[in-house]
Amino acid sequence: MIFNSFDFLFFFASFFILYWFVFVNNLKLQNLLILAGSYFFYAWWDWRFLSLLIASSALNYFLGIYIGKTQNEKHQRYLVLIGIVAGVGTLLFFKYFNFFIDTTTSIFSIFGVQLKLATLQLILPLGISFYTFRSISYLLDVESEKIEPTKDWIVFFSYISFFPSLLSGPIDRAEMLVPQLQKNRTFNYNLASEGMAQILWGLFKKLVIADNCAFVTQAIFENYTQFSASTLLLGSFFYIIQVYADFSGYSDMAIGFAKLLGFRITQNFNYPFFAQNIAEHWQRWHISLTSWMTEYVYTPLSFNFRSLRNKGIIISIIINFILVGLWHGANWTFVVFGLLNGCYFIPLILSGALNKKRTIAKDKLLPSIREIMNMGFTFSIVMLTAIIFGSKNMVEAFGYYSQMCSLSLFTIPPELKSQIILLMLIMLMFSFEWMSRDEQFGLIYFRKKLGRVGRWCLYVGLIFTIGMYMQTNETAFLYFKF
Amino acid sequence: MERTEIAEKIKGILIKILKHENFEIKDELSATDVEGWDSLTHMLIITDIEELFGVKFKLKELNKLNNLGNLIDLIISKLA
Repeated sequence: MIFNSFDFLFFFASFFILYWFVFVNNLKLQNLLILAGSYFFYAWWDWRFLSLLIASSALNYFLGIYIGKTQNEKHQRYLVLIGIVAGVGTLLFFKYFNFFIDTTTSIFSIFGVQLKLATLQLILPLGISFYTFRSISYLLDVESEKIEPTKDWIVFFSYISFFPSLLSGPIDRAEMLVPQLQKNRTFNYNLASEGMAQILWGLFKKLVIADNCAFVTQAIFENYTQFSASTLLLGSFFYIIQVYADFSGYSDMAIGFAKLLGFRITQNFNYPFFAQNIAEHWQRWHISLTSWMTEYVYTPLSFNFRSLRNKGIIISIIINFILVGLWHGANWTFVVFGLLNGCYFIPLILSGALNKKRTIAKDKLLPSIREIMNMGFTFSIVMLTAIIFGSKNMVEAFGYYSQMCSLSLFTIPPELKSQIILLMLIMLMFSFEWMSRDEQFGLIYFRKKLGRVGRWCLYVGLIFTIGMYMQTNETAFLYFKF
Repeated sequence: MERTEIAEKIKGILIKILKHENFEIKDELSATDVEGWDSLTHMLIITDIEELFGVKFKLKELNKLNNLGNLIDLIISKLA
């Protein structure tokens, strides 16, 4: 049941009526409905893995309470470790078991030893990377006394399985979502209307931009040997736009649905393509994951390596980014993708450029030439590195790059002509996002500036554009596989 | 050491690392109020503070800090 499906529309409409009209004055029943709805939503995909979600929630619920109860720091550490080992262990089993077996077999074969280790046909439980990270941050935050353990089991279980962000994030922290679950909620028209607009913007990005880009990139990535270098460059451009529009579009919808239920959840993207350097790009891309990794991986690492100063920061960033890459899946492409992104920080750290931050085009309509050049340079690095992210394996990634290194790079790709409309739609998306760059999503600027008639013309125009240019087949979100 | 003296020394470190003075030193000042004081520069600032005052922090102590006032209190407690 994906957001852009009739199944979900029917589910959410029924849920919305029960939530705001039947259980409106009863917080406990509203939360119970969130929990039941979330489990129904999850079971719709595969009911067998629901037990894993419930077991994980139950374990972390009790661990949280015991960590809060004991004053002994060592005991607290052991309890947190139990939670981390259980969570990461499950994740490793489902996500990385075959990768580990294949890698071990390959290493031994280098030394002439042929191992016959069996791999397993495992299905990755949907959303496991997201709810595991939610649970781990909860335990660590309780241990560091940043938050109190949640004693109300309905609230805690609802936090872990909150359906708008269950399958693909944002990875909300307990300090953000739990207090909202504990507070009485009344219908807020402005918040709900903002949520509707955000869902519409997310649908536009997913159905119009991402799916149309996917149509082009799939053909290019699968048959890269048959295309000219300039077409491959065009393919890499469409691919990074696809990933952005798909995932940020999903996040906009998740945040929008949460707003319709009276919740404000974590912003996951902050216009990453307007970033002035790679560090800023990562502060704006998949924010809930990068901030999670910064707090629970990078900070402890950089603290331990702090006596090494800049070298310590570089080591910590590289380890951090390899793990960010690996989080996406069990493939060497993700490891190399993470490693490269970590290495891109080195010149920034050594030159001290990290320490100088400026707000882009502050109080101006357009960016300066220098800002445009910085954006273009950062975008190019991100786009070219994403080829590895999008390739099935490193051999294909190298093949793609080597095919790009030819004089045909300086020709006009024949496919360009047929993609003019898509390029214009991408320009439209970025224009809207540029105008709203100080706000949470791409429609806010015009929502504030336009009167009621203007706003409705904008919404109808967007719906019309979606109807005209959407792909007819229902496609899943890219980040579901992570 | 007086609070104001500690605050002035921290100000010097911030200027050295962040290369600007666009902030006002006060107890309520938090990292989010200061351009460039983020997770990447934070440890450089902390290391300089440790060296200048001859103290050692624990990560748990740093995680509990909300603003400059908390940091000064922590340094005072370490120096006592």
